[in-house]
Amino acid sequence: MGAPFEIGYVFSFLPKLLETLGVTLLIVAGSLLTGIVAGFLVALPRMYKIPVLRTLSGLYLSFFRGTPILIQLFLFYYGLPELLKPLGFDLSRAPVLFFVILAYGLHTGAYAAEMIRASVEAVDRGQVEAAYASGMTSYQAFSRIVLPQALAIAVPVFSNLVIALLKDTSLAFTLGVMEMTGKAQTLGTLTQHFFETYIALALIYLVISFTLEKVLLAAEYRLKRHEVREEKVGRSFKLRRKGSYRAVLADIDAGKGGRL
Amino acid sequence: MIELKKISKSFGRHRVLQDISLSVKTGEVVVILGPSGSGKTTLLRCVNYLEKPASGEIAVGDFKMDCAQAKRGDILRLRRKTAMVFQQYNLFRHKTALENVMEALLVVKKMPAAEARSRSVALLEKVGLGGKLDEYPSRLSGGQQQRVGIARALALEPEVILFDEPTSALDPELVGEVLEVIRDIAREGITMIVVTHEMGFARDVANRVVFMDGGVVVEEGTPDDVFQHPKEERTKQFLRRITPEANWVI
Repeated sequence: MGAPFEIGYVFSFLPKLLETLGVTLLIVAGSLLTGIVAGFLVALPRMYKIPVLRTLSGLYLSFFRGTPILIQLFLFYYGLPELLKPLGFDLSRAPVLFFVILAYGLHTGAYAAEMIRASVEAVDRGQVEAAYASGMTSYQAFSRIVLPQALAIAVPVFSNLVIALLKDTSLAFTLGVMEMTGKAQTLGTLTQHFFETYIALALIYLVISFTLEKVLLAAEYRLKRHEVREEKVGRSFKLRRKGSYRAVLADIDAGKGGRL
Repeated sequence: MIELKKISKSFGRHRVLQDISLSVKTGEVVVILGPSGSGKTTLLRCVNYLEKPASGEIAVGDFKMDCAQAKRGDILRLRRKTAMVFQQYNLFRHKTALENVMEALLVVKKMPAAEARSRSVALLEKVGLGGKLDEYPSRLSGGQQQRVGIARALALEPEVILFDEPTSALDPELVGEVLEVIRDIAREGITMIVVTHEMGFARDVANRVVFMDGGVVVEEGTPDDVFQHPKEERTKQFLRRITPEANWVI
């Protein structure tokens, strides 16, 4: 089971692992970009109920949500060049990262599509009518009224999506990509200090996840500053004085007899 | 002036509007009454094409369109000549009271920001919300939200303002402040079509009352005619149900 535990290795591995942080972040960023574009393309036919495309979108979602990401990676890496060879595309020399980003991107796209659809549908239809009634075009109504509110609704889901993606990228090593997890494995094999490498690795993932979560939470509060209740929830753990009735009442909607 | 000719509309097999014609003169306040399901809200929503009429003709001011072959540009032009106040206020929740009123001025009318702002501030002061310019709708009471909605409609300087049950969602004690504002702008000679259940208000403010039932106009006339001397049996029944004091008036 390798060499005896020495805490010192954890610290000496940290900078070595961080050298490959760039590759991990590149996969995350590239996949997010691909995923959001794919997500829009998949969500649109479902939102506008376009006959054939809608069925295709459904199939896409079932496949990417219904199979393990690891298998999707293998399918793309080994399958795509074979599929495209007859069409005249030679992918045998394409970098591994290309397949990795494509697989993670399309995988993320499935979740992004559902996020986009749910967020847009969550914006109150009446406001769209109000926008139309005041003479806005459908593009203006979408970009000025629906989108800003849908974004705010989407942030928590997006936050989960990014963090899940970050952690999922640890599987890219199975295709030989030298990202953080791949590097950790090499370091472990080299030094026989497996436990220390994985502690260091876990620490890095944890810090990045935590930072992302906090940044996106801040973004959510900023986007939702127009909603009274959300703000209250945000500060509650600091400001709420015991369970006072006044504090509870203040949280009830004005329309339901709460604070005006 | 507004002219509706032979407007028809069905939801599935149910014919909601059956060849309805209605004309409203400039400066006139027309109140549409009727039991629920009579098609009055649908008629109102046809005027600015939030509901698509199956057939008929709509004319607002100098603009005229045939509903059977409406194009996107026609619908946009029609909507830019009208404004609507909604039952559920439908304020843009991510925008302050002031931004709600300014929004269409900036986006639709392409007005310079300073001008849009000063006009919006003036209108919000007029509806008694000069002190709430920077509040978001979530911090306003229903009555205040609806007054913002009215200011938003006024800002567009439309040929007609359509009111869709503007006080139905309000707590009873907030109805008065909203009706007061509508009454004020009615006196200024703004053309309005109002769907409401407020009989007292209809009697005070309307130049003409239209009673609808089953997708047709049953009776129309001055408030006096319709409330005091209704001719049709259906009108009488409706008034008996909705205004207890009508029992001894009739």
